[in-house]
Amino acid sequence: MQDLLSVVTLGSIYLLFALGMSLTWGTIDILNFSHGSIFMFSVFTGYLILDLTTLPFLPVLLIGVAVGALMSLLVQVLAFEQILKRATNKKTAEMQILIGGIGVAIIPLAIAQHHTKSNPFGLRESSFELHTWVVGDLRITNIAAITVVTAAILWVAMALWLRRSRQGLALRAIGVDTEVASLMGVHRRRLALATMAVSGALAGLAGMLFTFSLGAITPESGDTLLVKAFACIILGGIGSMRGVLFGSYFLAACEVWVLTQTSGSWVEAVSFGLIFLVLLIRPTGVFGRKEVRRT
Amino acid sequence: MSWYDTNLVLIQATITGLLLALSIQIPLRMGVFSFAGVGAYGFGCYAGAVLVLDHQMAALPTILVTTLAGGLIVLVLGLFINRLNGLTLAMATVAFDLIIGVVAVNGGETTGGATGRYGVISDFTMGHMWTILVVVMVLVALSERGKLGRRIDAVRDDPELASSVGIRVYNYRLAAFFVSGLLGAAAGAMNILVRSAITPLDIGFHLIVLALTMIIVGGSLSWKGAVIGAVVFTWLPDVLQVIGEWQELVYGVIVAVAAVLMPRGIYGLYVEAKRAVLRRRRTRRGAVRAAVAAERARTTDDDEALAEMEDDLGSPSVTPGGSMGANL
Repeated sequence: MQDLLSVVTLGSIYLLFALGMSLTWGTIDILNFSHGSIFMFSVFTGYLILDLTTLPFLPVLLIGVAVGALMSLLVQVLAFEQILKRATNKKTAEMQILIGGIGVAIIPLAIAQHHTKSNPFGLRESSFELHTWVVGDLRITNIAAITVVTAAILWVAMALWLRRSRQGLALRAIGVDTEVASLMGVHRRRLALATMAVSGALAGLAGMLFTFSLGAITPESGDTLLVKAFACIILGGIGSMRGVLFGSYFLAACEVWVLTQTSGSWVEAVSFGLIFLVLLIRPTGVFGRKEVRRT
Repeated sequence: MSWYDTNLVLIQATITGLLLALSIQIPLRMGVFSFAGVGAYGFGCYAGAVLVLDHQMAALPTILVTTLAGGLIVLVLGLFINRLNGLTLAMATVAFDLIIGVVAVNGGETTGGATGRYGVISDFTMGHMWTILVVVMVLVALSERGKLGRRIDAVRDDPELASSVGIRVYNYRLAAFFVSGLLGAAAGAMNILVRSAITPLDIGFHLIVLALTMIIVGGSLSWKGAVIGAVVFTWLPDVLQVIGEWQELVYGVIVAVAAVLMPRGIYGLYVEAKRAVLRRRRTRRGAVRAAVAAERARTTDDDEALAEMEDDLGSPSVTPGGSMGANL
């Protein structure tokens, strides 16, 4: 039972993080490799601000959201838009965005590493206090509860928004065919910026919640999470909201299971192995549909 | 000579870095976005350590066996994931690389767990290293010329067209995996022989980033680009020590700017600049020659000069280099 609870908590963190990546990848075709850096740097900014003053829980989360969104916008304007402007075809553009993301990600990482000397940092100075409720033989921390609820609400909101609202429709239209969508009056650039901002905000939020529940993260935490989020997305199918939900909790379940069965050093291999298996057996993912591309 | 000796470590690092960069560049040149070479590098490091420490093998047989084994492993990987494309292929190979790292942590006594293997001393010399490097570079440079070079370009730029003119794209893609495995494992084996120690931390995600950066900043379509990249990124941290505490940030900015603004790398910039200069010189030279010929025709009424003038006016851009002086 306690294991199940850890699965749900861990899965919710993965979900919050992977949701942003899945959103940009599935709609505006940007696989943002600086997502992990944005995640880490939001926490880092929070850590710096908390050095100066003490803040309660909610403002800290808001800092994470704001910093994440801002950084994501910067990356989009300064890097990805420039790459897309210069790219000659879709294939090279995809690759260059991947590489550009990796390149941009080095900058926040270098700043944080330099400042912390690669030591873990956390949000201890916040006035937030950890409570543990004991229900039967279950131990639930308040941060775990908050994480799970936040992830659930945001996922539902996002799924509804994508499916029901006009902007959601426009965004999905871009994902299917950019040119036709813009002929139909979809403002691609503005929507892309908004999507990146939302995605960055989710990364920042995930970072804050993750750090509150773990106590501290290292500057390199973002990289590990990046590969895991990738596994979540691949597992469920690129661009599928149900897919990313399934992928996140499935990966968390597998990891917790391996953790309880073995000494723990194999946990890292789970996500990589899953990526591999899924790509071999069903490259479109569990919920993915085959891509239809007219030539 | 003393410069060579004091910087020997960096020179060795440049050579292994160059081979590692090539192990990613070669598949990239064939349109296979694979990072499996980095996994082969990790394998090469450990296999080299095991062969030398546990089986007391000499340096050259160690490198030979490791290289072939690495090539075969990546070839088998290629057989499995060959049908993937683009980003999914890239990520599958990233997963492969990271799995090698996890296996190294969990390998027990063979891989030494988290502390890795150390004290790998053998009869490896710099002479061996230079020889291997030269052989590899000559082979790679040859693959960029003539028939083979054109076929590789075709496989990358338009696989459908390539197969329609009788190129077996499938075989080329598999060859890309095999060669990248060979190069990666060779780089790894040489690295362990000159470094004498390896830990799982040495073969992480950052190695993929490093190898990729070398190619992107250097230039992705020619071995010269890989050389530029390997030299720049092995020596840059050393040079940046002058800047002091912010060197990592400067390093990051350089990589980011290069990735965004120079997708073809430094070598690509050089090629473009050379082309632009040549083009301008040709047009200018054409104009000068036409003027000179017209002048001569006017003063001497020479048929030959008149004919030459017409030639020049007709095709001002095909003048071969160096003929300007002869005309004047």
